[in-house]
Amino acid sequence: MADNNKNAVRIQHEDFSQDEEIKALQASSKRMGGIATFLGCARDFSEGRDVSEISFDAYGSMALSEMNKLRAEAITKFGLLDARLVHRIGTVKGGENIVFIAAGAEHRAPALEACHWLIDELKQRVPIWKKEITPQGDSWVTPHP
Amino acid sequence: MIKVLFFGPVAERVGTNELKVEFHAGMRVQDLRAQLQAQHPAAFEIVCFVAVNGEHTLDMSAALTDNSEVVFMSKFSGG
Repeated sequence: MADNNKNAVRIQHEDFSQDEEIKALQASSKRMGGIATFLGCARDFSEGRDVSEISFDAYGSMALSEMNKLRAEAITKFGLLDARLVHRIGTVKGGENIVFIAAGAEHRAPALEACHWLIDELKQRVPIWKKEITPQGDSWVTPHP
Repeated sequence: MIKVLFFGPVAERVGTNELKVEFHAGMRVQDLRAQLQAQHPAAFEIVCFVAVNGEHTLDMSAALTDNSEVVFMSKFSGG
């Protein structure tokens, strides 16, 4: 288990590469038989309006700390070999990447369950807020269940 | 001094990301909240969570210490 991989959890302005994240996850263990991933993207249409951009604000230090806790909890709870979480902040255009989660385990079931759990928990626990920029004006997003 | 931070929709309603509030002995989270809520009622309508020094805090009667960092937050919408 690559529990001391400092780059496994990141908050960043720039885009990320799914291939590089998966490669880094695979490099952590040759026992990995299943990797589940979640990619969250910016939609260009929401609540009946065109969305040109999404702007993210975050309580950066706490958000990073909560994401690290989530990773550690998921590794323990689902017996993962490793997990990676990356979230972008700043401005993201329609169609671009927002968040990437990858969970690796010996078998597919824990990897899939952990990936689902991680994105749900991230939405509940990580202090990040999104604002949709539309031609009609800007509005902060009310969280979806 | 207590450093109070705001983010996202709460910051927009307060009109700033940061305020400094004079610390006094015995000050609790709820005292700080009441003081700020009186000044920024619209912002506090959407406040759901409080963090003290980077940790979620549910106990509003918890005592603050000088130089604490307190954040009043609305529901998160990341991901």
